[in-house]
Amino acid sequence: MKTIQVTINGELYQETVPIRMLLVDFIRERCGLTGTHVACTYEGVCGACTVQLDGEAIKSCMLLAVQADGHRITTVEGLANGSDLTPLQTAFKAHHGLQCGFCTPGILMNMTEFLEKNPEPTDDEIRYGLIGNLCRCTGYVHIVDAVRAASKVAKQGGQDGG
Amino acid sequence: MYPAVIEEYVRPTTVEDAVDVLGRYPGGEAIFLAGGQSVMQAIKSRMMRPRCVIDLQDISSLKGIAVNADGIRLGAMVRYVDIVRCAELPPAYAALRDAAQHVGDRQVRNRGTIGGSCCWNYLASCLPATVLALGGTMMLLRQDGHRREMAVDDFLIGPLETARGDDEILTAIHFKAATRTGSAYQKWGLLKDALPVVGVCVKVSLDGDGRCIAARISLSGLAAGAQRAPGGEIVLVGSAGETGIIEKAFAMIAEQVDAQSDQWANSAYRQQLIRTLGREVATRAFGRARGES
Repeated sequence: MKTIQVTINGELYQETVPIRMLLVDFIRERCGLTGTHVACTYEGVCGACTVQLDGEAIKSCMLLAVQADGHRITTVEGLANGSDLTPLQTAFKAHHGLQCGFCTPGILMNMTEFLEKNPEPTDDEIRYGLIGNLCRCTGYVHIVDAVRAASKVAKQGGQDGG
Repeated sequence: MYPAVIEEYVRPTTVEDAVDVLGRYPGGEAIFLAGGQSVMQAIKSRMMRPRCVIDLQDISSLKGIAVNADGIRLGAMVRYVDIVRCAELPPAYAALRDAAQHVGDRQVRNRGTIGGSCCWNYLASCLPATVLALGGTMMLLRQDGHRREMAVDDFLIGPLETARGDDEILTAIHFKAATRTGSAYQKWGLLKDALPVVGVCVKVSLDGDGRCIAARISLSGLAAGAQRAPGGEIVLVGSAGETGIIEKAFAMIAEQVDAQSDQWANSAYRQQLIRTLGREVATRAFGRARGES
C-alpha cells in the first residue's frame, strides 16, 4: 500500500492504494469519477480510459495509480465549466459524433489535446490522431466531422460550423 | 489482465539510487519502469510479476535530447513524442523521427521511451531496429558504479533479450555526428501505425561525388528480432543510390533472410515487403544524405 496525492480536475485526492492498482481504477473507484471508461479489460487497446496526465493524453489502464502521485489529471468531467460545454463537446453533439457514447470520453480527452497541438488539422491528421481510440458505432465519419468543426479550420474556412 | 501483488514502488531521482534499489532484489524481481507501454502489458498479463517496481520518471539525467558538434545524445527516457518534436535532428538520424512518429498511437507516443523500447527489444518494434541501423552506442551504468559503452549490435541479442546486466541501467544512447549521411525508416503493418510485420531502416554515408562509402541496413518484424542485413549493405557501397542497385541489394536481402510465416503474413509476402519497403527507404536515405528533404 502507498499513500498518494493526485490532483484531478483541480481537486486534490489523497488515498492509500495497493501498488498494483491501475490509474483508471483509482479514478473510477476511489475518486468516483466514472466518466472514464474501461472497454477492453485493461488491455491498452481501446482508448476509452484516455485521460490527460499533466495535459497530455494517456491511457489510464497503462499506468499504476502510484505513478500519478504528485501529478495533475484531467478527466472528461473536467472539460465543461458547469453546463458550458467545450467547443469540441458541442461539436460532438451537433455532428452526432457519438451513438452509444461509451468511447466518447476517451476520444474527447485525446482530441482536446490533439487540437491544442494542431489547431488546424487536415482530415487525414484527425484520423491519424484517432488511431488509439476504438469506436464500434459511428464508423468515425461523424467523429472526424465533429473534430474538424471544433478546429480552427472550421472557424476560418466556415466549412461547417455545426 | 490485472497486475499481481507488487510489494514495493520506488521513484528514485538519480541513476545511482535506481541501480541500488535494483541490487536489493534477486535478479528479475525488481524491474525498471520507463514509459511502461510494453512493461505494463507484461505486468498486467502476469508474464512479469515483479516484487518491486522502480519508476524512472523523476530521474532528470535520463531525459532530454542534446545535439552538438560531436553528435546526439538521447536520454533513455526520451519519449517518442519528444523525438517527433525535436527540430534539430540531423538528416543522418532522421530515421529516428520516421520510426517514432508511427509507433502505436498518440497516447502511446506520449509515454513510450526509446530506452524502454530498446531494453524490451520486442521483435516487432521500430526503435531497436532503427537504433541498430544508425549504429548507436548504448551507455550503461552498473550498480558498483562501473560505466560501459556498448555498440547497439552487441546490445541487442534477440527477441526480449539484451546484453544489459541484471544490475545495470541504460542511461542514454549516443550517435556520432556524420556528414553527407542520411537515414530513413519505414514499416508496414496490418493497420496504420500497427506493429511492423516488416520494418526496414537504412543509413548511408556518401563521399564528395555522391558515392556510398558506408551503409547499414536493419530489419524488424522477423522472428530472430532486429537484425542487420550485411549482404545488402555491401551491394550499396560504391553506388550512388541507383534504383537498380538498391533493388538488387534488397532482392538479395529478401532471399537471404529467414522470413517466418505467421497469421499476419507468409514468408513470401514478408520477402516482398522487404523488397518494396527497402527500395523506398534506401532511396529516401540517399536523398537525405545528398541534402534533399
